[in-house]
Amino acid sequence: MPAVIETAATTAAVWQVSGASVRGAAHLRRRLPNQDAIRWSASGNGAAPLVLAVADGHGSAKCFRSHIGARLAVMCAVRVVETAFGNQELIDPSDLSAIDCLTRRIVAEWQSAVSRDLWLFPFEEQELALATQSAGADVRQPLARRPSLAYGSTLSVAAVTESYGLYLQLGDGDTLTVSPDSHVTRPLPEDPRLFADQTTSLCMDDAAGNVRVGLQRWSAESPPPALILISTDGYANSFKDDQGFLRVGSDLLLLLQEEGLPAVETNLESWLEEASHLGSGDDVTLGLLYRSSVSLSSFPVAQPLLASVLGVGR
Amino acid sequence: MLRRPGGELATRPLHFIWIADCSGSMKSDGKIQALNTAIREAVPHMQRVADENPNAHVLVRAVKFSNGAQWHVAQETPVADFRWSDLTADGTTDMGKALTLLASQLEIPPMSERALPPVLVLISDGQPTDNFKKGLAALMDQPWGKKAVRIAIAIGDDADRDVLQQFIGHPELRPLEANNPEALVNSIKWVSTAVLQAASSPASQVQPSVSTSSTGASQSQTIGSASSPAAPPPVGPVAPASPVTNVPIPALLQPVATPSSAADVW
Repeated sequence: MPAVIETAATTAAVWQVSGASVRGAAHLRRRLPNQDAIRWSASGNGAAPLVLAVADGHGSAKCFRSHIGARLAVMCAVRVVETAFGNQELIDPSDLSAIDCLTRRIVAEWQSAVSRDLWLFPFEEQELALATQSAGADVRQPLARRPSLAYGSTLSVAAVTESYGLYLQLGDGDTLTVSPDSHVTRPLPEDPRLFADQTTSLCMDDAAGNVRVGLQRWSAESPPPALILISTDGYANSFKDDQGFLRVGSDLLLLLQEEGLPAVETNLESWLEEASHLGSGDDVTLGLLYRSSVSLSSFPVAQPLLASVLGVGR
Repeated sequence: MLRRPGGELATRPLHFIWIADCSGSMKSDGKIQALNTAIREAVPHMQRVADENPNAHVLVRAVKFSNGAQWHVAQETPVADFRWSDLTADGTTDMGKALTLLASQLEIPPMSERALPPVLVLISDGQPTDNFKKGLAALMDQPWGKKAVRIAIAIGDDADRDVLQQFIGHPELRPLEANNPEALVNSIKWVSTAVLQAASSPASQVQPSVSTSSTGASQSQTIGSASSPAAPPPVGPVAPASPVTNVPIPALLQPVATPSSAADVW
């Protein structure tokens, strides 16, 4: 008599993270590097959080190492947030002091990383001369007082766990959440100072005090979003209006649901390049956290929730 | 290839507005003719700069002021299609009214939040005969008025440099001096090229530091559910800050043109 194997085909929700960053059309013409950066991480045990970080180096005459500043920003952010989760520091995300501590640690790590880079690679006279040529002799004094100005960058972070999503943003750029029924919202409060290409920055006084924080606790009544997007301002500035930009959220969700993440990943860079070429001309970076349902194989023994399968980002 | 997500793509608008003094004094010594010639000759240079910066959609307009203020070119005109029609001079110098008129067009809307900072070029040979401060206040009340690149050109000795400096609103930038036709042509050309170039692809500018409350509670915004609106961020006391130039103004590198004769000096 054959064994009867009881099976229960189930689905489970998993988060997947991905993204891309392209050099802007204007930067290509002016032979400038990509001053954006993106990084993400995933853990393999299925219970750990996912962290995604995006940064935009300012690119002004005195921020001549901002492409390095952006890369350091995403590296430090992912490392600090992962460590905090690993140390069980964010069990209660509504603990404001823990969030405050987290943002200050990210900024402090970035400042340390910048100091290390500067120690290894002091400013060269050629760099200062070029900055002076573009912005006038006045540029040397603020740089002498605060060398981290040269590395100035924004930073946006999204971290998701099984029970909540945490969003941090310093400076311009956009964070969007898309509900399973394609409703697009901004989970962070606006900063009215961020207008006309002005931005807050990791290199400013009290950078941590200028971080905007958003938190979404998930429950049966308030389920997690199906998609979270973080982008640098070059992307939103490429659309004719805000409605056109917000449509990215609902359109991408549909594409992910119909075509799957690998197909979207294959096309992502070309979409961003097109946006820059026909739109802002700026570097364009987009990171995404996608929550999809996967069908678990039928086994007689219940399986743990599958972890997302992604490597470490750039 | 999959369809690109999102709506229509578009370059960023860059509004360039001439604000020209057409008072009676501009009739003397060929000043208004020189101004017309200078702007007309600058147009091909503006078109070249715009071609080199295709991600900035340069839109040109002009305001004239004498007795009151009117739009000389009211329709925002793509620079490729822009043609200059001559100004004539007569009347007083209602500069304040010109700035008030301009302010109404810098509101959002019709301006867009995603626009590049506009370039405003004020050209005058005299002193305002109306309430200049009221007009300037109206302009600076607009976010785009405040963030605009404001350049001023002083024509001749009688131009009120103090007023022009107030318009510029930045201690490190001075009105350009145009004491003869060649200098006016050079100044107009510089504004039309170097300043337009800088405004076409500005980099992000860091906000001056703002003092905020030091407690964690002031920074964190907790959203109870995905759909509930977030409270606006608390704003602490704002430390006085030096003005931030959105668009770094390149130095005027061309030598000041010397007049060919004493009769050519305004």
